[in-house]
Amino acid sequence: MRAALVVLAVGLATPTEAERLVSTVSNPNVAINSSFEGAGVSLFGNILPDLNSPTGIAAGPYNIVITVTGPSQDRVARVKTNSLGIWSNTDQQIFTLFPSYYAVIASGRLGDIADPATLERYAVLPGAQAALAAKSDTLKAERFGLELVRMMEEEGHLSVNEDGVQFLSDTAYTARVNLPSDVANGPFIAHTMVFKNSVLVAERSDGFTVRKSGFERDVFLTARQQPLLYGLACVLLAVATGWLAGVVFRR
Amino acid sequence: MASPRCYCGSILQIYLPIAELSMNVFFLMGIGGAVGFLSGLFGVGGGFLLTPLLIFSGVPTPVAVASVTGQVAAASTSGALSYLRRGGIDLHLALYLILSSTIGAMAGVGVFSLLRAAGQLDLFIALSYVVLLGLVGALMLTEALRTLAKRRAGIVIRDKLPSQHNWMHGLPMRIRFKKSRLYISVLPVLGIGLFIGFIGALLGVGGGFILVPALVYLLRVPGNVVIGTSLLQVVAMMCVTLMLHALQSQSVDIVLAFCLMLGGTVGAQFGASAGKYLRGDQLRALLAILVLAVALRFGLTLVLPPADPFSMAVLTAGGAS
Repeated sequence: MRAALVVLAVGLATPTEAERLVSTVSNPNVAINSSFEGAGVSLFGNILPDLNSPTGIAAGPYNIVITVTGPSQDRVARVKTNSLGIWSNTDQQIFTLFPSYYAVIASGRLGDIADPATLERYAVLPGAQAALAAKSDTLKAERFGLELVRMMEEEGHLSVNEDGVQFLSDTAYTARVNLPSDVANGPFIAHTMVFKNSVLVAERSDGFTVRKSGFERDVFLTARQQPLLYGLACVLLAVATGWLAGVVFRR
Repeated sequence: MASPRCYCGSILQIYLPIAELSMNVFFLMGIGGAVGFLSGLFGVGGGFLLTPLLIFSGVPTPVAVASVTGQVAAASTSGALSYLRRGGIDLHLALYLILSSTIGAMAGVGVFSLLRAAGQLDLFIALSYVVLLGLVGALMLTEALRTLAKRRAGIVIRDKLPSQHNWMHGLPMRIRFKKSRLYISVLPVLGIGLFIGFIGALLGVGGGFILVPALVYLLRVPGNVVIGTSLLQVVAMMCVTLMLHALQSQSVDIVLAFCLMLGGTVGAQFGASAGKYLRGDQLRALLAILVLAVALRFGLTLVLPPADPFSMAVLTAGGAS
């Protein structure tokens, strides 16, 4: 798993003089078992000085923006309108490869700590993610994008926390993401960006996975790989449960 | 979001591996039990109540529809067995219904995919519920109330319904169903089976709420075997549909289904026992009210402005183990 993390680690985009960033996640493998009720994953990191820095110290003040992106899905947002007295879905917008989970965690207000060009380039804001997934910049795509973001925020799958990164020292920080119990399974990427005077000076990506373990995993794999066997098991279970209840309740 | 998940006691939560979320065990067994009670009482599967309840609780629609078939199969098995012991099933008639409804179900699954591709499945389902449940409910309620009124007026009513013969009895290929004391053409029996199978697969319900009145009013099946025969037909229907769901949509959550089954089978036993204390016309009146209430509920969602005009759905399940 460590190897996977190293592979996922993206080298910093090297401007002339740049800090380096080391970071890690508290739990590279979030396991889902029968009593899974969501999980918290902590992200830690430390900002190191530039190798050629004359002073040899990383001088802040720094600001951090972390985006956590879950496995992507194709989603559709629909709107109901009233025609002939009946409410029905009349318009829709498809969002391809939209993250099933997306969180922005920052050490301050995004507008104050990062330059707009960088935020734009990385599509940091949820609305920008939606625009990207809509593959269109029409008014309709924007309107549906806003609603999609709102609905996913209400479900707890999308969040912006501008007070979520705590500095432990001038250069060391920690942050926490909370995954809800109905979080999608698969690979997650935490992309950390370090800003100094609103300029991006270092960035790095860390990965973690959310996957079922034990019985839950076996059930899922059987349903996908042996659907006939799984279906027969379901039918047998249903008939047996019904029969057993009949026997138990027989006077 | 005001859903029953997330906010309940931690020991009672269980993770559903196919739905990919965790829910409260006692909530699941509770709604399974309540619907199972009605299932045993009226001889209907109860899918038309349970599926909307689960969707409202946050279970993805395909998982809810597919898993409920398992619960309905279990609850109906338990109910059917208790009718079988009482001799309340016409096996001969049930066999004809099961064979024809299986063919109907396969056609229904095909049309289901076509409608989903056209993007108006939800509207179609809501409209079908309103029209079908509204018609069946209104028909049953008028008949049951008339019978109740006559009984109150002191008129002696025979166990059989009036007007023993209708046009269906003039059709060819007549077969004798001994248990039901019927000598009728096999064509309307097969027709009803085909229709129930088709509509059941399309709407994700067992079809008991249509089958019971169809048997009573169209075929004149005597009251003592109607519910048992209907339950047996629902068991067979649901087992076939459960297999189809497991093979095609792969959205049957066995853990969810089992939680619902545990509550449902127990509820069905109590329902079947409670049914013995009510007369046929009283049962029919109660079922009619229940069916009308669900029709009204669906009707309101079509007519009233929705709380949130926007909705979203996942097109590709990004499922990974």
